[in-house]
Amino acid sequence: MSAAIELVDLHKSFGSTQIIRGVNLAIERGERHAIIGPNGAGKSTLYNLITSKHVPTSGRIRLRGEDVTGRPPYKINRMGLARSFQVTNIFPRMTVFENVRCGLLWAMGYRYSFWHDVDRLDDVIERSMKVLEDIGMAARADVPAGVLSYAEQRELEIGITIAGGADIILLDEPTAGMNRSETAQTVELVRRITENKTLVMVEHDMSVVFGLADRISVLVYGEVIASGRPDEIRGNPAVREAYLGEEVD
Amino acid sequence: MAAVANTAAAGRKSFLRRNAVWWIALVLVMLLPQVAHSGTSIAVLNQMCIMVIFALSYNMLLGQGGMLSFGHAVYFGLGGYFAMHLIQLANAAHFFMPLPLTPLAGGLAGLMFGLIFGSFSTNRAGTVFAMISLGIGEMIASSSLIFTKFSGGEEGLTADRTDLTPFFGVNFGRDYQVYYLIAAWMILSAWLMYRFSRTPLGRMANAVRDNPERAEFVGYSQKRVRLLSFMAAGFFAGIAGGLFALNYEIVTDETVNLTTSGVVLLEAYIGGVGFFAGPIVGAVVYTLLQTLLSNYTEIWAFYVGLIFVATVMYAPAGLTGLIMMHQPIWRAGRLRSLALPYLQIGVPALCCAIGVIGLLELLHFISVRAVGKSTKHLFWTTIDVGHPTAWVVFALLAVGGFLAARRLAPRLAAAWGAATVDIHARGER
Repeated sequence: MSAAIELVDLHKSFGSTQIIRGVNLAIERGERHAIIGPNGAGKSTLYNLITSKHVPTSGRIRLRGEDVTGRPPYKINRMGLARSFQVTNIFPRMTVFENVRCGLLWAMGYRYSFWHDVDRLDDVIERSMKVLEDIGMAARADVPAGVLSYAEQRELEIGITIAGGADIILLDEPTAGMNRSETAQTVELVRRITENKTLVMVEHDMSVVFGLADRISVLVYGEVIASGRPDEIRGNPAVREAYLGEEVD
Repeated sequence: MAAVANTAAAGRKSFLRRNAVWWIALVLVMLLPQVAHSGTSIAVLNQMCIMVIFALSYNMLLGQGGMLSFGHAVYFGLGGYFAMHLIQLANAAHFFMPLPLTPLAGGLAGLMFGLIFGSFSTNRAGTVFAMISLGIGEMIASSSLIFTKFSGGEEGLTADRTDLTPFFGVNFGRDYQVYYLIAAWMILSAWLMYRFSRTPLGRMANAVRDNPERAEFVGYSQKRVRLLSFMAAGFFAGIAGGLFALNYEIVTDETVNLTTSGVVLLEAYIGGVGFFAGPIVGAVVYTLLQTLLSNYTEIWAFYVGLIFVATVMYAPAGLTGLIMMHQPIWRAGRLRSLALPYLQIGVPALCCAIGVIGLLELLHFISVRAVGKSTKHLFWTTIDVGHPTAWVVFALLAVGGFLAARRLAPRLAAAWGAATVDIHARGER
């Protein structure tokens, strides 16, 4: 079986600045994979390459064995890959319920329909409510998303991401800017919603990474210097030197 | 959660009850000619109905889809030309073509040109889209004077609608017959456009407007969503153009030009682009200003411009927005607490308006008056423009009214704050 995501000799430059310098990485299906690295290592760029927000300068990206390099984001999404954003990226003028509904209309087959009445699509309403319950926001369904607290917006962001039922989920620093209890809550949420799915996440918080990930890849200056189980990464001297320092202990 | 349950429940209400607003609108529209039955008022109503469809179609772009178009008259005018050609053709070849269906030809033309021009202009919203729409508008407007075989040049195209085969014995020779035809198309089009906004595509048009990047990451191509909205908007603009053709029995380059594109933008914006009903309000108000105000003053268009600028600056949600702002206060039963502050600021504001209008009218008068004429009728009095009294009075009213209104504004703001204080808190919960 081919890997969920496979990156082959991936390069990305902005102008003359090389950000990603030859990344080879295979992320197996059903794995929770974390990408870590110091600031400026190119984590977000790599993340944006995988989700096709950016087009690589060279190299290939394969999704379940299929080459998807350079495909537009909506096509990648339709293949069952969904992502969240580091900066909260929701539909602020819509209610929480409508936000989630936007996330699943395509996946449920309604596509560009202009002959269905959204208020009468019982399957859509039901599934939206189910997602809202999953992320613990059912009580906030009618609130305009723009007035939610920051942590709530982050959770809604995850809700939109998982709503379509994608089986490859990418999360960009899901706990950034959260306090301790909010972080713990989000970790629990991520663990629950990625059951039996492939998860790729970029994260700064080491407790989150080591608590969630099956495998970890360490990115330094646009290259993967190590990739392996959490205990392997913890014990890798190159990683300790380059990035982790005393933080692990 | 309550509202979600409600919307789900609303879905199961009977067809009759769910569409109550539409039935009421239908009855109102049908009864209007009983009240306003003079030839002039029917003519005004016809124009109003056509502009309502046109403005609603425009708002599918601006309000629903976030596309600022400076060239929406293209689809209106081309719809008019195509409908007119169909009428002419049916007259010449004597084939069966009921007049009520001819606007469909306009709609299909609008749809087709929406596809053609939309295919390369909807990649992005924003400035690029606006500029392309302006360019296409200019292109088509000039084409209407270049390809004169198609457009009839400056004289335009004309036809006699009564030459068509009568439709169930009706030949649409009488103005009220035309009114009912246009009104029926208006209700149908408005209803369809409303339904459109409640479909998956209509909802995603909002999503793409608010956050195109996110929409792409939930599976939607922003371009495809915009293009389909654009085509639908072109379709309904074409219907409006077709109705224009059969109503006036003439289509000229005026229907496709940039002035018409500007008018529809003005109407939608003054009415309020954030509300489905906004463009309806805007089209009605604009048509009234255009037809009634022009009886009293030659510079009515100047006042419309003033109103537009004031709307953009002080009430960006439009007239509908101003009305809807009061809804929560009305629900809380506190509208009465605003009556006095409104009255207090209303009097100086009115004085200011009278002063400004007076000065403008006098200025206009001295610049166009015939030699030797020095008196003007204004505000039910005769004014000698050579004498400074009127000028001084108007200037005092304008400045004094403005200063007084500004002094009273904080009081209104305070009353407003008091009336809404715990309403916002309730919304937050």
